[in-house]
Amino acid sequence: MFLAHVSSLQASIFSLLAIFSLLLAFVMLGSHWLRNYVYAFAAESWLIAILSAVVGYFGGYPELYVIAVLTALFRGLVLPYLLMRIVQRLNVRREIHAVLQPSASLVVGALLVMFAFVIANHMNFQASTAGQVVVLALTIMLSMKLLGFLMLSVRDEAISQILGLLVLENGIFLGSQILVPGMPMLIEIVILFDLLIVVACFGMLVRFLLVHAGTTSSRQLKRLVG
Amino acid sequence: MTDDIVLQIFQVLAVLLLAPLLQGFILKAEERVQRSRGPSLFQPYRDLWKLFHKQSIVPESASWIYFTAPIVAFTAMLIVPILIPVLTDRPLPLSDMADMLGGGMVLTLGSFAIMLAGLDSGNVYGGIGSSRTAMLGILAEPILILVLVGISLLAKAMLPFVVNHTLLSRPSAYWSPTHVFLVLAFFALLLVETDRLPIHSSTHIEIYMIDEARILEYSGPLLALLKWASMMKQFILYTIFCNVFLLPWAMAQIGTPLGEVGSVLSLLLKFLLVATAVVVVETVQSRLRFYRYQEPLAAGFLFAVLAIVSSQLI
Amino acid sequence: MAQKLVLVLFLAPFIAVVTSLLFRRSRISEYVTVLAAIIDLAVSVPLLREALRHSSTFWHDYVLVDNLGAWVILCISIVYTLASIYAVGYMRLLDEDPRLPLFYALFSGFAFTMLAACVMNNVGVFWIAIELTTLISTFLVGFEQEAESTEAAWKYIVVVSAGISLALLGTVLFYWGGSYVLGASYAMTWAALRGSAAQIYPPLLTVSFMLVLVGYGTKAGLAPMHTWLPDAHSESPAPVSAMLSGALLNASMLGIARFLGVVQGTSVSRFAHSAVIAFGIFSFVLATLFIVRQTGIKRLMAYSSVEHIGVQALGLGFGGALGVAGALYHMLNHSLNKSLMFFGAGNAMRAYETKEIPMIRHVLRASPVSGTLWLLGAVGIAGAPPFALFLSEFTILRAGIVGRYRWAVILFVIFLIIVFIGFLSHFRSMYFGSADEMPTRKMPWAVWRAIPMWLAFVPLLVFGLWWPRAMWDAFMKIYAGMTGGTP
Repeated sequence: MFLAHVSSLQASIFSLLAIFSLLLAFVMLGSHWLRNYVYAFAAESWLIAILSAVVGYFGGYPELYVIAVLTALFRGLVLPYLLMRIVQRLNVRREIHAVLQPSASLVVGALLVMFAFVIANHMNFQASTAGQVVVLALTIMLSMKLLGFLMLSVRDEAISQILGLLVLENGIFLGSQILVPGMPMLIEIVILFDLLIVVACFGMLVRFLLVHAGTTSSRQLKRLVG
Repeated sequence: MTDDIVLQIFQVLAVLLLAPLLQGFILKAEERVQRSRGPSLFQPYRDLWKLFHKQSIVPESASWIYFTAPIVAFTAMLIVPILIPVLTDRPLPLSDMADMLGGGMVLTLGSFAIMLAGLDSGNVYGGIGSSRTAMLGILAEPILILVLVGISLLAKAMLPFVVNHTLLSRPSAYWSPTHVFLVLAFFALLLVETDRLPIHSSTHIEIYMIDEARILEYSGPLLALLKWASMMKQFILYTIFCNVFLLPWAMAQIGTPLGEVGSVLSLLLKFLLVATAVVVVETVQSRLRFYRYQEPLAAGFLFAVLAIVSSQLI
Repeated sequence: MAQKLVLVLFLAPFIAVVTSLLFRRSRISEYVTVLAAIIDLAVSVPLLREALRHSSTFWHDYVLVDNLGAWVILCISIVYTLASIYAVGYMRLLDEDPRLPLFYALFSGFAFTMLAACVMNNVGVFWIAIELTTLISTFLVGFEQEAESTEAAWKYIVVVSAGISLALLGTVLFYWGGSYVLGASYAMTWAALRGSAAQIYPPLLTVSFMLVLVGYGTKAGLAPMHTWLPDAHSESPAPVSAMLSGALLNASMLGIARFLGVVQGTSVSRFAHSAVIAFGIFSFVLATLFIVRQTGIKRLMAYSSVEHIGVQALGLGFGGALGVAGALYHMLNHSLNKSLMFFGAGNAMRAYETKEIPMIRHVLRASPVSGTLWLLGAVGIAGAPPFALFLSEFTILRAGIVGRYRWAVILFVIFLIIVFIGFLSHFRSMYFGSADEMPTRKMPWAVWRAIPMWLAFVPLLVFGLWWPRAMWDAFMKIYAGMTGGTP
């Protein structure tokens, strides 16, 4: 079992990479400008790719190098490029925060991280360095998920919601790299491509939204109620 | 034993006498960065000297708080250097009067006294200054507490000296995410508590004032005490930031006079670095709207919470 | 044998997709789609018989044909056939002739991914198939390119993608839990998960199951994750609504049923069943309340879907032979009945040019035959005998009483009565309510739209009066497969 033999140096490296990914998720949560969201997402994807490579190096899973390269390429370059194209097409520069101010969402995000930590502690049954890494991975995974949901619920703009979904997926990917590096490569690659298709579909839908509904802000999409 | 007492007194005197120098340096650096000449480094000394020789004009509606508040603030600022590592990194007599939280409380007591002073005479601008200070305090004090809790969790002790030693002896503690986040949180706190941009502008327009508004009614020696107390607070916060968090090196170990002087010089050097950073941060930004003050403070709060969570995870 | 059948099953819609895209002619795409659907239906019956005899896996264990999956394939094929026949008559009315080949390509692609989800052995690939169904059906939902359809499509994809990402998290956690038993790298098949479930740390198992339940429950339309369902099902064209309600929800329930089978026999089992019952009852109650005050005809049908998915969840949650049999029978009957209802609603919408119930009056005068069928279908979907849904709901009720779930059963009965009254009151006002003469159009190609309604109605009546012995045996085999023994 990979995690059983992890040393404290490896644990620190994993924790550093993971925590900075989480920090970038908070940057996404707290900034006003749509461009910054995309940049933060790109940086986060690069960090996760580096984490993949590091896990592959320490754990002896050579296929993780391939996945790291693919992640850096697709999640780190292609996806942000597609997203920037959508942002440019939108003519919207900043997100208007109608429900929750960025400072308040930072505080709520901090509380969600604490909640995720409590759950992760509950789910852990090993007590050792391995146990600590497990709790770390679970915490980061769950908190990125919760942050993604927070972004989905309190944001108006379509692009922020897309980014919320992508943060969700990033969180799962991060956790799976640390917890289950042995997961069959087929699954991981297919999920990567699936993400690409998802963003492409989103791009098309955003175009439809602009053309037919006239707006991409979900506050204005109120025709269907009841 | 007497050596230690002398050292302790020397420490307090260092804080007392060097605080205006730090203020002078920051003011001059701000102006220099903007390519003007700026006041002399020793201008705050001259201002204090001038104020001590001026007449004190007391408003009619002043009460006993008016007279005691500056004294309370000044005294509080004199007590805190006893508790923290300023020049030496080993505890000196009476430094166990209070741990880090206690030191924080005494610091806040000084600010609280100045806030009361602003309210006391019923002046409109004093009220504005005090209410703004109170609001900033509501946002900033939790961060201070969380930062102190975080650093205690990291070092597993509540004394700043133990923290200093931990950071010196274990690089893994120094470079841990907990420490990094705490440094960032404290930096945000530093900007807020010392009234630097993006919180405060140095123009003397009443609408923007926070600090000067509170002391608008004072003159003469009482004003000098208040100003000195603010400068000492700045010095103390910088000291805590450098000696406990960021740059815990180069402090006197034994207590020889030469070592003490060297420690003073290294302290000034560290302050040079931090003050330069503060000035750069201040110059590249503009002042935020009042309701957006919560944003850097929320970021600081976030960093502090993340620091505490990561201290449990590593 | 089963391998050949599966090959034909997938080849048919695939050829339909390719043909529609190659020759951009609407007539060709229509007929090819109908043909593919009929082939699928013809293949799914022997496939079911084959799977009941013994389940098989092939293609490196990636494809599993077991009795549960084969049953869902049968339901999906039925809806595919009915909906494609109806689509011929309905889509021609929309004046969208140039885009129709694209529609039929998406339609068959949608069927393809749903069928693929039913046979996937690997849990991760199952998730991917479900994700693909979301992506393809989004464009079907937004096909009409109005403001409302686009809004509905957007809501659909955002909510459902967020939901099934939770299912992915649950899957990863299941894999992680299993890795302590089976080693760091193993093929995550349903059988592997079931084998290792008993030894996974119970809190971890609980959290994983809840995540999977909420995730696939979003896709299935369980409340409170159902918010996308009324919009998506009401804004899409009628044949697509039938496919979404009748087929897609079943595929998602398949996921939940499989995961229930995984945790069967562990300490988490009781909690898992209670959770499923809780979601089921909540969906039922919520949907009933929305049905009573509804004003849109297709939204009414959509909430009825939520209600019936709640009933299916109740059946699975109650467990036992009765519960599982009832839930599976309900799957079939609901597919038939809901397709009938959506076809009738589509007819009414085209004839009266409106979606609002208050604007639809005197349906019998406008279309006597299909109107009657629609009314009888409404009586059936509200759960009245002699139609099939009554039998399946009654079985589920019996399962609840046997399993001693007192509160769930009481709520079930009370809200069944409420939904009967509420649903049929809308129909009463549409058929027998007094109003001025509503202008109606006489719609061409009515035969195309009437045939599937008859095809849906007759089995509904038959199954309501006679539950075939063979079907009961099949359900018992499926139940045995879910709870114990090797598949």
